Amino acid sequence: MSRAALLAAPAVLLVVLVLGAALLTALLQSLGLLPLFGDPEFSTAAWTDGGALAESAGVSLYIAATSTLLAVVLGFLIAAYALTAGRGGRLVAALSAATIPIPHLVASGAIGLLLTDAGFLARLFGMPEGFPQLVGTDWWTAAILEFAWKESAFVALVVLGGISRSAAALSETAATLGASARQRILHVILPLARLPLSVAGLVVFVYTFGSYEAPWLLGPVAPEPLSVRAVRLFGSVDLAARPEAMATALTSVGIAVAVIGLAVLGLALLARGSRRRSRRRSGRHSQHPSPLRSSRRSGAGS
Amino acid sequence: MNALASAPARTGSRRPRAALSPRRVIPVVLGAALLIWVLLPLVPVALWSVAGEWRAPAVLPESWSVQALTSLATPEVLQAGLRSAALGLGVAITGTALGALAAFGLRQLPRTPARILGFILLTPLAIPPFALVMGANVLLLTARVPTFAAVLIVLTVTALPYTTYMFHVALASYDWRFEEVARTLGASPTRVLLSVRMALLAPAIARAGFLAFLVGWSDYITTVLIGGGQLRTLPMLLGSAASTTGGEQLTAALSLAMIAPPVILLILLARSGRHRRSPQ
Repeated sequence: MSRAALLAAPAVLLVVLVLGAALLTALLQSLGLLPLFGDPEFSTAAWTDGGALAESAGVSLYIAATSTLLAVVLGFLIAAYALTAGRGGRLVAALSAATIPIPHLVASGAIGLLLTDAGFLARLFGMPEGFPQLVGTDWWTAAILEFAWKESAFVALVVLGGISRSAAALSETAATLGASARQRILHVILPLARLPLSVAGLVVFVYTFGSYEAPWLLGPVAPEPLSVRAVRLFGSVDLAARPEAMATALTSVGIAVAVIGLAVLGLALLARGSRRRSRRRSGRHSQHPSPLRSSRRSGAGS
Repeated sequence: MNALASAPARTGSRRPRAALSPRRVIPVVLGAALLIWVLLPLVPVALWSVAGEWRAPAVLPESWSVQALTSLATPEVLQAGLRSAALGLGVAITGTALGALAAFGLRQLPRTPARILGFILLTPLAIPPFALVMGANVLLLTARVPTFAAVLIVLTVTALPYTTYMFHVALASYDWRFEEVARTLGASPTRVLLSVRMALLAPAIARAGFLAFLVGWSDYITTVLIGGGQLRTLPMLLGSAASTTGGEQLTAALSLAMIAPPVILLILLARSGRHRRSPQ
């Protein structure tokens, strides 16, 4: 027992020390109790600009939610295509997986070169008059597409890692029974992929919510998401900006933790529901249990 | 709707299918669309890295040049590359070693403490990186930790959830009897550790090490906030090139310089994995 605790101690202590110190310092600085210069003086001024904090939080939540939705849909399509389209599907999955080591900063630069006003995409379409502005717009299109591009590969990898073995066998069975690729995707792969999709979606949401590079490079100057606002205030020459930077950082921590808490609760209920359904199904003694019948009953597409 | 029941049976149907039936066209269109989605963002990077003159509305560069690629050989870029590699290797070594120790420790602990400690080790995933760095920066400055070491410490904390999880998964299917057999055959504890445990866990070590390397190699925000511009790594150079107008060639060349090492590492890892699995 004590030896085991000793083995885990270095990693745990490092995390507790750095994380604990980071959160405590941020809290004290946001309340004026740990100024860079001068005497400590309790003040909630950094927290009173609720309008700016709420606006930044709204932008961050919008970017994260939209990016996650796109990444989950496209990631699922890549995984489903990999499982149903033979060699072509495997090629798409392999190329998609190869983009995973590409850093977000590089991906942001690449999306910038692709989507700017005179970028590669506009040139491919012959620079039409009405070509929409995608970089630096209020809709955060370029930043969202960067996240969706990078994270859809991650979602596909998680889904394939989680279900490829079971899904391949069931999908094959469905095919021999005459199911089309669309039916196999909707009635076999989607029900199986619900849990890995939810977990991957949560990871993507939390990551994109706290990410800095893409919104900084590809977003408009204002309004700012929490990450960009915090980093700008942190680097400001105005020392009074430091408490505001810390308040912004702590707001992002609070929202991220709340989202994770809610999602874990939701995932637990989802897992319990699917366990109960599978127990009910196994309780019904069917002579020929068909994976297709059970997947259909489990509410595909929900 | 019973969709499967309405599916045509494959047997007995002698009707030749139309060459352009939706059943044949849709998978091809979907495959092409997904291929474009995956590859299109990399095309302008590849083209800009070897472009000389390339003004709009030209779809392809009007002239070609290796100037951007040769600019990677300047002392500034080489030094930045070395710093990034050192940061990547540093995080890989510390993150993998601490993650492995933690996973072994958690495995031997009773269930409740193991769960609590495991939860603590996952918490860095929940904290946005910029928030973690801002708070930790004050502690590291107060403790007078040198810049490189400070960045390394924070990035190790960021990498620990990944590395610990990798070893946790590997140990779930680890067969301890190999070690027992080696010990009964007279192997010393050190010999068992090196020849049995490390050998059996090699794939997990490689995966955890690769992920931790990526954390250090590709970090931008930690280096910016802690280094304050003093620690010039490849991502720092790329960040400044990408945020200035007219820096397309340099952005593309630096992007390739940043993508190449991890991709090469990944290929080597995949090949060594296949080589290990192949029959002797």
